Amino acid sequence: MVNALSCLLKKKITGESPAHNEAIEAIGQQIRREVDSVFGRSLAIRELDCGSDNATEIEIGNLNNPYYDVERFGITFVASPRHADVLIVTGAVTHNMAIAAKKTYDAMPSPKFVVAVGDDACNGGIFAGTYAVLGGAENLFLVDMKIPGNPPSPAQILSGLLALMRKAKGNG
Amino acid sequence: MTGNADCGFAAVREMAEGIQDQGRIVSGCAGEYYLTVDEREFEDLVLSLSQSKCVLSGLFCVEGFVTGSRFSLFYVFEKKTNILVVVRNIENSTRSIARVFPSANWFERECRDGFGVEFAGAFDDRRLFLHETYPDGFHPLLKSTKNVPIQPKPEVEPAEEYPFRKVSGDGVYQVPVGPVHAGIIEPGHFRFSVIGETVFNLEVRMFYKHRGIEKLAEGKRVEDCVRIAEAVSGDESVANATALCMAAERIAGTIVPDRAWYLRTILLELERIASHLGDQSGMLVDVAFPLGANQFAVLKEEVFRMNELLTGSRFLRGMVCCGGLSRDISRQQIGHLGEFISHFGKRYQVGLKIVLSTTSVIDRFVSTGVIKKNILLPLNITGPAARASGGKADVRVDHPYGVYDRFVPQPKPLNDGDVLSRFTIKASEIFDSLKLIEQLVLSLPEGPVTAGFTVRDGYALSMVESCRGENLCWILIRNGVVDRYKVRTASFCNWLAIEHAIQGNIVPDFPVINKSLNLSYAGTDL
Repeated sequence: MVNALSCLLKKKITGESPAHNEAIEAIGQQIRREVDSVFGRSLAIRELDCGSDNATEIEIGNLNNPYYDVERFGITFVASPRHADVLIVTGAVTHNMAIAAKKTYDAMPSPKFVVAVGDDACNGGIFAGTYAVLGGAENLFLVDMKIPGNPPSPAQILSGLLALMRKAKGNG
Repeated sequence: MTGNADCGFAAVREMAEGIQDQGRIVSGCAGEYYLTVDEREFEDLVLSLSQSKCVLSGLFCVEGFVTGSRFSLFYVFEKKTNILVVVRNIENSTRSIARVFPSANWFERECRDGFGVEFAGAFDDRRLFLHETYPDGFHPLLKSTKNVPIQPKPEVEPAEEYPFRKVSGDGVYQVPVGPVHAGIIEPGHFRFSVIGETVFNLEVRMFYKHRGIEKLAEGKRVEDCVRIAEAVSGDESVANATALCMAAERIAGTIVPDRAWYLRTILLELERIASHLGDQSGMLVDVAFPLGANQFAVLKEEVFRMNELLTGSRFLRGMVCCGGLSRDISRQQIGHLGEFISHFGKRYQVGLKIVLSTTSVIDRFVSTGVIKKNILLPLNITGPAARASGGKADVRVDHPYGVYDRFVPQPKPLNDGDVLSRFTIKASEIFDSLKLIEQLVLSLPEGPVTAGFTVRDGYALSMVESCRGENLCWILIRNGVVDRYKVRTASFCNWLAIEHAIQGNIVPDFPVINKSLNLSYAGTDL
């Protein structure tokens, strides 16, 4: 029989986290507090690529690497829109993705929030006004927060999510 | 170089054996040769090219290239180090060659969507990058089509839905997956036909991310198109920017300074390392081994941070420009890079040891998703995917650019073609890239990083070995602006390999097979 207490107290077998970055920790702790109070302790995000150049996806994916490890701040990326509070949209919303994107949004339960990440999602970027795109997530959804960048860094994405939660609290 | 060019010419003449009056073969400005043929000559030539095991590595259409013909089709044939571009000047249609060169299937469909060119006898004439909501008769790459917002169809009737290949038989059922997937990845649709648990057939449908890259470049200064090339595929930013600049430089006759090429090569190899680390990490996530995955995720993040230190961009953007680099990298920064690289190999080895000594990982990797060698040439499969299946092609070796003729990579192909081979080949390529960067850092010459670039009209082909394989670029500059920008990334061709790799595997192994190839959706969809 495993003694639960000794599991808690004994030396951890995992390695040290690779780097301690004060700025990331500070944003993280604030996110943790806001997630606890605004979203009932967990913020579920569904990522939706509507035509990015994949750099934004890579940076969002990097949020899960041990340098950021955002799950410890209460942020999880979920597999289904039905489990999501927030839809992160990237790309200038191509015509070829528009129907699937709309279906994804409609599948989310309310209340729901949309965050546009990257220049293309914010205003169409270099693709604004061209034949293949709607140009910016706001042409398809009501956008609650924009995080510009080509692409924005993981730290910038975290700051944007913090701003979203503060905005949501203000509205609540 | 002249000596090589002469023997290249002889080899190309051999490729075009059977063509009367070989004096028509003209040399391009990038070592490629062009030959314009009529319909009758074309049919014989295609057959003889196929018999001599040439690869069709590109096919694209240009409108108004010559007076007197509406369209010109450029068929890029490769045989080892030689490139013969066969040009067909046509009005509206020509014969399909997809039955002889299977890689032509997507190329021809791409030309049909873009220009409305018809290919008689094609076995597949469905739309490719224009999905159902695009109006009928819309061809974005025609000069008469202005690049302005269009009115797509608001809805798609069931009868208008994309007809997937019909697969039927006892117990066959369909599993549709995507375009929106469960993870943080790009959109694409996979239509599995499954018997029990085993995949009988897979059809991939891409182009959900079609954002009009090629049209966007038209009418712009080539210098302003570098930003567009970087947006072809985020993790191949340097590769595609280099390919574009190299083509423009070849047309203009620009001699890029040595220091610029050394630094470009360092950036190209850093990009390869970051991409391979991401693939390896992803493959381990997909077999539920986070301990291993995080080893590589940590290193990848550190490469991104080094990228930022060197260039101000985690994706190395804004550095490559026509004529060289937009700014220099200081001696101090290079010192940091050298220091970083010298410790990197050892740390990488730690992760590798953990992974390769874990039986549950090896069990999932070995004999999974085999790509057979015999599909490499017909489908133009390149890059690590090909080198894990006995292929030798590597643009850096076959068509060296920059300093790769002095720092020649030594591809060490594996033969099994499974997920484990692709994992291992990427590991060995990371070590090779580290060694290469180390050498470049040590021998980095002083001097300017840019030569004055003055645009000149003309056309040129360029190829770059990106992290995923052979990226092809062809540009036509007219009146000082880009008239046609064709980019064909390795992913465009490599996607079809996955349809073969998955057959006989179980559906739950698809994610790891997909990740082992890690193809770019953005780079395919354009």
